[in-house]
Amino acid sequence: MLRRTSLATAVLMAGALALTACSAEQTPAPSTSAVADPNASVTLRMVAEPGNLDIRETAGAALDQLLIDNVYQGLVSRTPEQDIVPALASDYEVSDDGLTYTFTLREGVVFHDGQPLTPQDVVWSLTQVRDNPAFRDSERLAGMSAVTADGQTITITLSQPDSSFLWNLTGRAGLVLKEGDATDRKTAANGTGPFTLASWRQGDSVTLQRFDGYWGDPAGVGEVVFAYIPETQAALNAALAGEVDVVTGFDANLSEQIEANGDFAVEVGASTDKGTLAMNPAEGPLADVRVRQAIRQAIDNEAIVEALGAGQTQYGPIPELDPGHEDLSDVAPYDPDAARELLAEAGAEDIDLTLTIPSFYGTTVSQILVSNLHDVGVTLEVDAVEFSAWLTDVYMNRDYELSFVLHTEARDFENWADPEYYFGYDNPEVQELFAQSLAATDEAEAAELLAEAARIVSEDHAADWLYNGASVVAVGDSIAGMPTVNVNERLNLAEITKSEG
Amino acid sequence: MIRYALTRLVLLLLGLVVASVLIFVTLRVLPGDIAQMIAGVGSGPGQVEAIRERLGLDRPLAVQYVEWMSGVVRGDLGTSLLTGTPVATELLQKAEVTVPLGLLAMVIALLFSVPLGVASALRRGRADGTLITVGAQALAAVPVVWAGMMLVVVFAVWLGWLPAQGFPRAGWADPAAAWRALLLPAITIGIVEGAMLLRFVRSATLQAVGQDYVRAAAAKGLTRTQAMLRHGLPNVGLSVITVLGLQVAGIIVGAVVIEQLFSLPGIGRMLVLDVGQRDLPKVQGELLVLTGFVLVVGFAVDLFHRVIDPRQREAQ
Repeated sequence: MLRRTSLATAVLMAGALALTACSAEQTPAPSTSAVADPNASVTLRMVAEPGNLDIRETAGAALDQLLIDNVYQGLVSRTPEQDIVPALASDYEVSDDGLTYTFTLREGVVFHDGQPLTPQDVVWSLTQVRDNPAFRDSERLAGMSAVTADGQTITITLSQPDSSFLWNLTGRAGLVLKEGDATDRKTAANGTGPFTLASWRQGDSVTLQRFDGYWGDPAGVGEVVFAYIPETQAALNAALAGEVDVVTGFDANLSEQIEANGDFAVEVGASTDKGTLAMNPAEGPLADVRVRQAIRQAIDNEAIVEALGAGQTQYGPIPELDPGHEDLSDVAPYDPDAARELLAEAGAEDIDLTLTIPSFYGTTVSQILVSNLHDVGVTLEVDAVEFSAWLTDVYMNRDYELSFVLHTEARDFENWADPEYYFGYDNPEVQELFAQSLAATDEAEAAELLAEAARIVSEDHAADWLYNGASVVAVGDSIAGMPTVNVNERLNLAEITKSEG
Repeated sequence: MIRYALTRLVLLLLGLVVASVLIFVTLRVLPGDIAQMIAGVGSGPGQVEAIRERLGLDRPLAVQYVEWMSGVVRGDLGTSLLTGTPVATELLQKAEVTVPLGLLAMVIALLFSVPLGVASALRRGRADGTLITVGAQALAAVPVVWAGMMLVVVFAVWLGWLPAQGFPRAGWADPAAAWRALLLPAITIGIVEGAMLLRFVRSATLQAVGQDYVRAAAAKGLTRTQAMLRHGLPNVGLSVITVLGLQVAGIIVGAVVIEQLFSLPGIGRMLVLDVGQRDLPKVQGELLVLTGFVLVVGFAVDLFHRVIDPRQREAQ
């Protein structure tokens, strides 16, 4: 089987337009006289600032948004719609047995410090990630038995087929850095992307500047500023006062306010954000599948989506943007009477449960949960904690009953096949299906197996997926080319432009 | 006098040592740790352990404390575990925002609290005097955050005179822009702190008005206002300086809240971010400096009193 992909910008643009058509129709089309200023500076409001800039070690989507595609690149990348596209490789082939990946490395690529990209840099980077367990996503390259370079041809050999391998290369694991680079990754960056990391003012902003030595089409603006403004109200004020051009992570309920004077339009795009209510099956009432099902049926997911002002319901572990998605709304529909019956059957009437939730998520979701569960006789205590406390208590020590976090990662079904993950979900059948999906060399087959596994996870009521979040972005009227799909995960700004005046 | 100063200095140092232990211990009681924060969601225990070891967090707490203190004595406050930057460098950089903000807030607080406080005391019992007092009571009860939000809506969003948030990226290279960025936050802190100060000035003035020396001056032919200005105010000033010294701590707390609200890259916002990230060596260095600053201000106020107030000198 031969697979060849080229960047079909037109197709992607059409997809993006279709997704945002509703909001686009309401806003006046930008006047044709508006000319993009190639040296413009665009300021984007971001919610969370990364702790440091170490793309190899430090977790967090904030770092992916800032650095991947914009500053660092891999052989391949992904579009907001989750399609895999070439980046530092001009094209690639996968052998029929799914064991050999052959990439043609672009020529004339230089790093921001002026050094040329060599095939050896690719070999070194991938080997480093695989062999250093402290590096993030190291285990994603564990199946890579060899990576070699011959001229501009890079050949990767796997020990067994892995249908997620190419996808993994579009993420952190696949990023290519300069061999032996002495740049302090914690505070600086040396990549091959369309922007250089110009400065980081901690507690304030990161500034990217267009890299004039970039191998591809030059970035559409001279400078991009990621301004970290955690407070929603402060972000709204900054937008209304004309201090930011784009507001990401916006609250859809404030759309009218930000659109009031016509300077901003709110764009709602799909995302892989999964509002996940984990239910610890290790002990207590939640060990009983009937109690877990009752909780799911007691929760009015549609009311949650409505309260958030954007997004859609999701009744299984796989969101619509990911392969293996299917509509699982029939598994646990909202039905408080059924929930009460299930609880009675399980002898779990009038139980008390504690929800551990990082405090930055606010109270919208937890208030609905408290009220919904109260209706069926479950008293829910909400324990709002700092994220670091959530990481230690819930994620690491699995010391929780119910937990809520927004999982933004795309294609993360693997967590349901890993009994060591904080979900504590252990079903050999699901693990087997997931393994088969990885081993499948046909994309459609891999997706089908995932869908099958996802249905089982949902039928086991391993968690409740309260909603599939939306990317809500308020875009200033002088801005074009701002991605609107899945921006909480990745944010490629190469094509953003700003018109004069 | 020198003996007094030395005694106070020893107390100050003792205070710092006690503070350092309290800071160190309370931070370690916080749930969560930085290795877990770095590794984040999607990490296994192996990765977290590797990071803990690399950062030296696996060593006994007593060793870590002694190491910190021996650094502090040599003038090294420690380094950030996240970025490797020295704490002193970070503090100096953020002080460029927080120190002018605090000074400006203090000036604003003084500018309206002293004249209004004196006026409301001298005009006690009249309508305008009562109005000032009631107004100050109301202002002092206003939460800082709410006051700030109202000011932003009026002056930044409606009128567009001042920035709604942030600090110029060029910093003090453009002083006008920098001061403009600090004005709304400083007013926010200033009015809340000033309202408290106003009540204090008023009661100090009232007290002075009733003193024999003011009545004696009035008996010699000065008007009551003249007598107050010549003889009463120096005494009021003394009390104001004492209260102001105490309010330094209040202004620092105000800065923590206000820098969040206005997204100002100052010491307060840095502290909140660092606590959230559990960058404990950095947080403890920052807290020690802030505590030291408050203690030193208290020390200076005490000495100043000693120097300026003849009654205290003679009492020795």
